[in-house]
Amino acid sequence: MKRIGVRLAYFVRTAWRGLRASPVTSAVAVMTIGISLVLVGAFALLLQNMESLLDKLGGELHVTAYLEDGLTQGQQQEIAHLIGTVEGVESVSLITKEEAFERFRRGVGRGSALLEGLADNPLPASIEIALVASRRSASGMAMVVASLDGLDGIDDLASGQDWVEGYMRAVALLRGLGVGLGAILALATLLIVANTIRLAVFARRDELEILSLVGASHSFMQTPFLLEGILQGALGGGVALLLLFALFRVVLPGFEFGLELVLGGVSPRFFALGESLALVATGAGLGLFGSAAAVTGGWRT
Amino acid sequence: MDERRDAAVRLFHVSKSYDAGSFALRDVSLEFARGEFVFLTGPSGAGKTTLLKLLFAAEQPSEGQIVVLGRNIARLGESAIPPLRRRIGVVFQDFKLLQSRTVEENVAMALAVVGTPRREARAKVFSILKQLGLQHRRYHHPLSLSGGEQQRVAIARALVNEPEILLADEPTGNLDPDLTVDIMDLIASTAIRGTTVVVATHELGIVGRYGKRTIRLDQGRITEDKKAVGVASGM
Repeated sequence: MKRIGVRLAYFVRTAWRGLRASPVTSAVAVMTIGISLVLVGAFALLLQNMESLLDKLGGELHVTAYLEDGLTQGQQQEIAHLIGTVEGVESVSLITKEEAFERFRRGVGRGSALLEGLADNPLPASIEIALVASRRSASGMAMVVASLDGLDGIDDLASGQDWVEGYMRAVALLRGLGVGLGAILALATLLIVANTIRLAVFARRDELEILSLVGASHSFMQTPFLLEGILQGALGGGVALLLLFALFRVVLPGFEFGLELVLGGVSPRFFALGESLALVATGAGLGLFGSAAAVTGGWRT
Repeated sequence: MDERRDAAVRLFHVSKSYDAGSFALRDVSLEFARGEFVFLTGPSGAGKTTLLKLLFAAEQPSEGQIVVLGRNIARLGESAIPPLRRRIGVVFQDFKLLQSRTVEENVAMALAVVGTPRREARAKVFSILKQLGLQHRRYHHPLSLSGGEQQRVAIARALVNEPEILLADEPTGNLDPDLTVDIMDLIASTAIRGTTVVVATHELGIVGRYGKRTIRLDQGRITEDKKAVGVASGM
């Protein structure tokens, strides 16, 4: 156990020495990883917030059934009761023609004087249908709407289904773009880390020759390079996190209108601690794979 | 004790060729006892360096068998080579020191490989440097040392793990005559402590001074195996 600790300390010292021995090359690798992760992280951040909007909307999703004119209050209540028994419906609320007009008048505000000239109330009575939690999605809503379609006394059914579906398609498209971009950037990052570590191996060939002569195993010689890759990756992840945070805090508030358009009423949220650590760990992982590609194979004892 | 069983190195009809038909070593059979001091001599290209490389498994024999410290080099897997090398110290004509590291760090490399704790390693390095008269130079870099001092650092690195075999390839090739004697005395003293020492050199003056077993190679073949002064001949 003690020997493992001694070796680990040696590996860390050697890796750190390696980073310091070629500061420019290492800095280029760290910045490349950092910029790649900023792009991927920005996508992740946008998606995370868009999904928050979907979650928020999910709680508010409901279906409105507009009733035909000429129904008695008893008939309206009967329809409301019937709808309440449909699977996926949590509760129903009957809005009479008068209540609908009053709501509309309140909504118009100061322009309500214009409504005084109307001879008849043109608004229909309606039933607001709240959905059970499992149906608060575009597909859940579609199922409820399909169940109500064609019911006697219902003139029209309205829901945010089309809008939600469109938004979900946008989220899926962005996610696909993010994954594609992430894959390309990950490959580029791997190549850059691998080349940086190959240069480091070449620069330290004399040291490796001596280590081999005094009985160092391949893993003993390779481990510091792997650690160097991990360090570069983790530093790159840290740089990305700082840049993203700076963009989030400084740049984002300047795009209030655009944010409102994309995120609705949801306040933008930065990564939580676990997600921040995941970004740094992603950098470290890229560094590990890049350096592993550089040092595995082709070593002679 | 059975001398054959106690041998540090045994070669059986060993040949080494790099190109077809061109042999660096040809049908070499010999044996080095534990604690024995042996000179390998011969002109350049005689096969001295090749023989040393075979002994620390830097090369594999083309034919024959080599047993070093009980391990058959010809059958040794890649993973078995490092543990064997930790039991062998090697010294080169060009020292092979890292100029960017201090004397202490250069010597400590051999200890890092075997997982010696840092504090213990520093104590061991100080001890070996003191034995070689270099303790005051431990924080210097090799370039600030004389050739003789650099070779002593290389010897310290080779000896710090108390190897069972010490191989030296032209260890005094870059040194002045006075320093040559110092370095050879140092190497010879390790044999007294039980280490098998094999020195490849073409400097016959040194060989004569010590009266040790001398194996002469020429064009890859053993042309003479002269026993140490006072030792009966015969393998």
